[in-house]
Amino acid sequence: MNKKKIISTILILGILGAFIAYKMYNKPHVDVAETAADISIAANTILTEFSTDETTANAKYLDKIVAVKGAISAIKTEKGKGIITLKTNDDFGSILCHLSEVSTQKISDLKEGQTITVKGICTGFLMDVVLVKSEIIN
Amino acid sequence: MKSILTIVCCFLFVSISHSQDRYLTKSGAINFYSKAPMEDITADNNQVLSIVDAANGKMAISILMKSFLFEKALMQEHFNENYVESDKYPKATFKGDILNFDAITETPSQQKVKGMLTIHGVSKEITIDANFTKTEDAILVDGNFIIEVDDYNIEIPAVVAKNIAKKIKVSFDFNHKPYKK
Repeated sequence: MNKKKIISTILILGILGAFIAYKMYNKPHVDVAETAADISIAANTILTEFSTDETTANAKYLDKIVAVKGAISAIKTEKGKGIITLKTNDDFGSILCHLSEVSTQKISDLKEGQTITVKGICTGFLMDVVLVKSEIIN
Repeated sequence: MKSILTIVCCFLFVSISHSQDRYLTKSGAINFYSKAPMEDITADNNQVLSIVDAANGKMAISILMKSFLFEKALMQEHFNENYVESDKYPKATFKGDILNFDAITETPSQQKVKGMLTIHGVSKEITIDANFTKTEDAILVDGNFIIEVDDYNIEIPAVVAKNIAKKIKVSFDFNHKPYKK
């Protein structure tokens, strides 16, 4: 009787452990569309912050869901994924937003020059501030 | 009046020819693939910045580590936090020369690229083969090579040694366009 109890306890713990491990292993990615933005900011401001002090800006924005508002300077599609560029006052830098599959479907409604807000995960700064998995808010 | 016009034309011509020297892409693709007994891991980055200077055959590439997207969130987390430490080293870079750049034409050809690859704060000289095609309005580059994680001080704990390969296959595909601004 006692032995049985021990075995079944171990078994239950084992199954529970395996279940938790499996759940952790399959933890889903952050759903950008469903999650509120950590920071809302204008295209100009975020670019200036990155170009003046990249280290500080990295600490502030990397991995965060950032909603950036700006005027569209270019719209294109590469490998079936939409890419929107938001204009800034800087001659070289802009905000490069790589869209999710859902938002890519919406790009035909957009026009260059139109002001929109794009929400995405900020991955850093090269010539431009890069957002991935972006969603068009409005 | 005529001379002013000539000067203006000269300037225009100079600036045009200068702007055509540089070819650039902001949406270059890099994929890496790790094949291990327990699982295969692959990640894609489509936001790679790559610049080719057609005047001297130099090439410069910048990669954001956090732009690598994985199938599983946990893999991405481990990659960023434990292995490449992307908060500390947010970028990987490559700076180098395309050897024999003048031989590149509209017909695809294989050329060697030699330069410094910096990952995880460690720089190492590499020479790799890549396929090049140069047309009037684009320079296309693609290829793949193997990197050893040990070379870049990336430690893989023994527990996951069966999940992560020591040798990672890196594939790249860049479509450079003339840079005008």
